[in-house]
Amino acid sequence: MNPNTNISQELLESVERYFNGNMTADELSAFEGKLKSDIDFQTQVEDIRTLLFGIESQSLKEQLDDFHNEIPNTSAKKAQSKVRFLHFGKIAAAAIVVIAIANFWFFNQSPNEKLYANFFSPDPGLATTMSSNSNFEFYDAMVNYKQGDYKAAISKWTTIHQSKPKNDTLNYFLGVAYMANKNESKAITYLEKAIEEPTSNFKSEAYYYLGLAYLKEGHIEKAKSSLENSNNNNSKALLSALNN
Amino acid sequence: MRRVYETDYKLQLIRDIKDNDAVALKSIYAANYFKVEALVLKNNGTKEHAKDIYQEAFLAVWQNIKQDKFTPKNESSVHGYLYTIAKNKWMDFLRSKEYKKTMVSDQINNFNAPELDVDTDTNKLKEQQLTNVMQAFKTLGEPCKSLLRQFYFDKKSMKDIAQHLQLDAASTRNKKYRCMQQLRALALKTNTQ
Repeated sequence: MNPNTNISQELLESVERYFNGNMTADELSAFEGKLKSDIDFQTQVEDIRTLLFGIESQSLKEQLDDFHNEIPNTSAKKAQSKVRFLHFGKIAAAAIVVIAIANFWFFNQSPNEKLYANFFSPDPGLATTMSSNSNFEFYDAMVNYKQGDYKAAISKWTTIHQSKPKNDTLNYFLGVAYMANKNESKAITYLEKAIEEPTSNFKSEAYYYLGLAYLKEGHIEKAKSSLENSNNNNSKALLSALNN
Repeated sequence: MRRVYETDYKLQLIRDIKDNDAVALKSIYAANYFKVEALVLKNNGTKEHAKDIYQEAFLAVWQNIKQDKFTPKNESSVHGYLYTIAKNKWMDFLRSKEYKKTMVSDQINNFNAPELDVDTDTNKLKEQQLTNVMQAFKTLGEPCKSLLRQFYFDKKSMKDIAQHLQLDAASTRNKKYRCMQQLRALALKTNTQ
């Protein structure tokens, strides 16, 4: 801080208005102009900033002991000690139950569900770039999709889809997002639209996921005919598994 | 819709913290203390250590949010940040000379790794100035202190403060200004020491 400058009451109050965003447009532009051109003024403003921040910091610091005494300590402490003293045996028993249920569920799956589980993994999505292209919303949703937030991706893509109902990329990604979100019947409606576009880049993939969705829904014949239209290797492997 | 709501909520949280909203600050304080206490107790510390280190960390988090050095995405990112800072501070303390003094000397003579100093001179100067102001405010007379605290920390209106002091608005403003001058003079004196 500069001991040689004087801070007037007027200056103090105008700096306060500046910090609080209470300046009129004219006052603000004059203030900012001066801030740019006048180094002494800059220092004065910074000094006031430090003073105000120091007052607030010290005020908070002096209240922290009160905060501390107000912690509702019973509930938190009890919850913690409970976890700490839980017997290992109980945890082990719980783990066994969970594993048993998982096993039961897994071995009770129909063969088709097993196949589905073996083959299905969500499409990795498209590379998202930091450009300011017009497809911002699309790639914004792609980020959600890649993070596994399928719901958010679906809601954003659905909005764009309303204006471009025939876009094969949108139909394809809405389809795979619904599949990843375990809603196969919705996925089928979108994927069927995606394959309508004869020159689509996603055609092969779309047929593959469509086949998987049909498989999950139990429509084996539809699944097979869909998979036959796809050239990807997984499709062929799945098809031969279905035919055996 | 959901997104709008979340953004609103996020802004509200930041606004509450910046406005020193007592309810928001207390709930953040209460939510994380026991995690930090457990960490310190497990690592050679006492409850007093835990409280000190936690309060330091809490103040640092609040300061960083105020200065936009840290912009939390949501409430849990505030919690995570607070815990991490407290943990780092405790680790720093365990490595510090103050702590090592109490340990057997040959245990520690071996590693005196130079600490990485990323602070620039201006940052250090600012840090020092802030410490001076805080120290000055601590020793400021109670009438001035209370006036400045009500205005700048509690964000009370000038009108309310004036009413409370049974003064008119203009003289309260003038009083506040003179308190600021006192504080500044004290801080400058601290500076020369």
